[in-house]
Amino acid sequence: MADAVLDDLDELEARTVFILREAFACVAPLAMLWSIGKDSTALLWMVRKAFLGDVPFPVVLLDTGMEFNEVYAFRDWLVGEWNLPIVNQQCAPESEVDQTLPPAARHAARKTAGLRDLIARENYRGIILGIRRDEQAIRAKERIFSPRNADGSWDPRSQPPELWDYFPYEVPDGAHVRIHPLLHWTELDIWRYTRREGIPFVPLYLARDGKRFRSLGESNITFPIPSDAATVDAVIAELERTREPERAGRSMDSETEDAFERLRTSGYM
Amino acid sequence: MRQVRIVMVGDVDAGKSTILGRLLVDIGQVTPARLAELESSSAKRGVPVEYSFLLDAFQIERDQAITLDITRVWVRMPEHDYVFVDAPGHRELIRNLLSGASEVDAAVMVIAADEGITLQTSKQFLFMRGCGFTKLLVAINKLDLVDDQQRVFEERSAQARAFLGQIGIEPFAMVPVSARTGENIASKVPGAWWSGPSLLDALGAIEVDRARSSGPLRFIVQDVYRRGASRLVAGRLDSGRLRAGERIVFWPLQTSAVVERIIDWPDELQQAIAGESVAIELDERIFVDRGATASHPDDAPLLGQALEAEVVWLAHDELRVGEGLRLRIGTREVPVSVQHINEVVDPDTVEPMQAEHVRSGDVAIVTLTSRELIAADGAHVSGSLSRFVLVREGTIVAGGRVRAVVARPRSEGATNVTAQTSSVGAWERTVRNGHTGGVFWLTGLPSSGKSTIAMTVQRMLFDRGRHVYVLDGDTLRTTLNVDLGFSDDDRTENVRRTAAVAGVFAEAGFIVISALVSPFAADRERARGFYPERFFEIHVACDLPTAEERDVKGLYKRARAGEIAHFTGVSSPYEVPQSPDLLIETARETVHESVARLMEFIVAKTKL
Repeated sequence: MADAVLDDLDELEARTVFILREAFACVAPLAMLWSIGKDSTALLWMVRKAFLGDVPFPVVLLDTGMEFNEVYAFRDWLVGEWNLPIVNQQCAPESEVDQTLPPAARHAARKTAGLRDLIARENYRGIILGIRRDEQAIRAKERIFSPRNADGSWDPRSQPPELWDYFPYEVPDGAHVRIHPLLHWTELDIWRYTRREGIPFVPLYLARDGKRFRSLGESNITFPIPSDAATVDAVIAELERTREPERAGRSMDSETEDAFERLRTSGYM
Repeated sequence: MRQVRIVMVGDVDAGKSTILGRLLVDIGQVTPARLAELESSSAKRGVPVEYSFLLDAFQIERDQAITLDITRVWVRMPEHDYVFVDAPGHRELIRNLLSGASEVDAAVMVIAADEGITLQTSKQFLFMRGCGFTKLLVAINKLDLVDDQQRVFEERSAQARAFLGQIGIEPFAMVPVSARTGENIASKVPGAWWSGPSLLDALGAIEVDRARSSGPLRFIVQDVYRRGASRLVAGRLDSGRLRAGERIVFWPLQTSAVVERIIDWPDELQQAIAGESVAIELDERIFVDRGATASHPDDAPLLGQALEAEVVWLAHDELRVGEGLRLRIGTREVPVSVQHINEVVDPDTVEPMQAEHVRSGDVAIVTLTSRELIAADGAHVSGSLSRFVLVREGTIVAGGRVRAVVARPRSEGATNVTAQTSSVGAWERTVRNGHTGGVFWLTGLPSSGKSTIAMTVQRMLFDRGRHVYVLDGDTLRTTLNVDLGFSDDDRTENVRRTAAVAGVFAEAGFIVISALVSPFAADRERARGFYPERFFEIHVACDLPTAEERDVKGLYKRARAGEIAHFTGVSSPYEVPQSPDLLIETARETVHESVARLMEFIVAKTKL
């Protein structure tokens, strides 16, 4: 008999579901960050797949109060639609973060502070995040299960080995592990999957008046790109052609050469 | 698009990152802005355009011109997405290399033309083999640094081929490249001496092994979810295919049931194939939990308490005989100890050596033993039952592949027997045993099913490495309680003695399952007093007519005929437990269901 094989999206999805189930079986208490962007929303859909329609842990928005209005509206709608156990975590004001960071990065650092406060309050041992390796060169070095020190910081020089699909689950007291079930997906994969599964997304990703958002961050530090892609099909066609990096509209990434590395080693997502 | 995952390996400075950076530029995937950024980054550090900066994202990597941790680069080509995993060449970063190598389809080994195979290169080859890698392309780089390119390439190729032949790897291609000048990376150099393919063309020949649906069924159980009245067994098919309606067996406990539904929420499937994550519902409630693996009945994995395996040792300190570790295979985790170091491979000569210990970075063949039964596959079955990791204090310290499963461990020498309870604390026993002691007191009418359930559960717990013992009422009446009859006073004494023995066993760390009619509530309450920390009253309930119809030992018949006095249910009362810790109704459920419920209860109550 011919060897039946899964298609590429099925294979990506099956691995993500496997990782989510491993996390749920081995790490507690657990929470997931939902930035309300396309990646973490697709991940949320796969959480429902993994747990047969349920979302068995809190879904957290790190709220700086600076998200786009469309983002908040989409959140409120989907929370009702999918019956999500949402937690809105207010982030510390900009005056309380590292002032040596460049201006846009300081906004991102507010999210790091918000996450730290959340973990300190709820004692989470595991945080699920929808980051991908192809987004950014520093994220490309991430492990699927990535342990963090008690202060939330990341030491990329001493990452534990991760062989096949055996992940390190044990977390020392006070520390936590970041779980990244989407690392192996690309931006294009996410859009093709979103189209196939009919997953809803914030309408800002589609072009209006010759511009669309390719990546969504806070409204004051994220800019749209020139685009005529007004449908998901057109977005996919655009991504198949482009050479521009996904986060080109994120000013925090490119202020200085090491901006993103500094953010991430101190605990950013 | 289908991803082909390729790991780049080779000694430090062989030029792995540069090859990848160059490839990205040559196929036009790098924007002009990014190239400009690269030029300024390079200029800032006073070096010519450094293509590896496209990959080496950390400050320290750029400053010291080395790659620290694995990274991944996507190269979009018309037929495939290539994902290149760039792994560092430094000795101390071997664990990173392995983390990268374990997830890929093929490897590109980069050898510098001016250096040839170094000790680091040969070690990496050995690791690759240790991880089960045989798909390998060799790129001889830096040919721009030598005079007679063709001669040097041929020498280096022959050297690599000879070395690889020794360890049983046949490379699928050998190509000359020069990353610095871009020759033969993405395209061939017109008119050059080389008539073979470019690196990129050669990669096109990789055949990717996907999860094998033609292999034997291996369904790895991750969890069991309760949804309403349904229990859904969630997991992944590592290999094979599964159809609704088929009978499957869960290993190592050998419980069996028929698959009623296969769920890929929100859909239901008639069949699942290798690679899929699904949830299944069974026709019968049997004991299944995380760590089990299901197969078809005629295609079982191997079962044993010892493994012979090839391991790559990653920890900084040495591995020694007798060391206790945790083995993770599939989703199962069991304590093991290193019984024997069979051989260590010498990275210089690739010859096996005898050794007392395994040093960091060594590849060795070892024998691991466990008190628990382990289900594993030999190398002929791909998937997670043939490869494992060893864990110490939560950290992965070795990766390995199963070579053979040994049915029974060889003798382990004298076992230390501790004579005095007082010198060993209860917690110490618990930690060593991996579970607590406890008394599980089964009470119920004669022929209600107590002994049958107790014996089956004892077997399962034993196979899972638990210390367990069944105190059977009838058996004890032939020894300890041989002087007792069936008067009310004698029954009370019978229960008292049995409970005292059960308490001692539980104190010693055992899971005790007692199977006694024990008809009086007051006696059972007294029994609790011998081990109040973990005493559980379990009512094995069955209505009298059903029990009488079973009449396993023909005793009901004799009691009705007046041959036996004081027979519980007939001529002596049975006081039904008012609030038992667990109620098992054998007239309503199958034996499998009853066994499953008692197993789950005991496992939960004796957890560390």
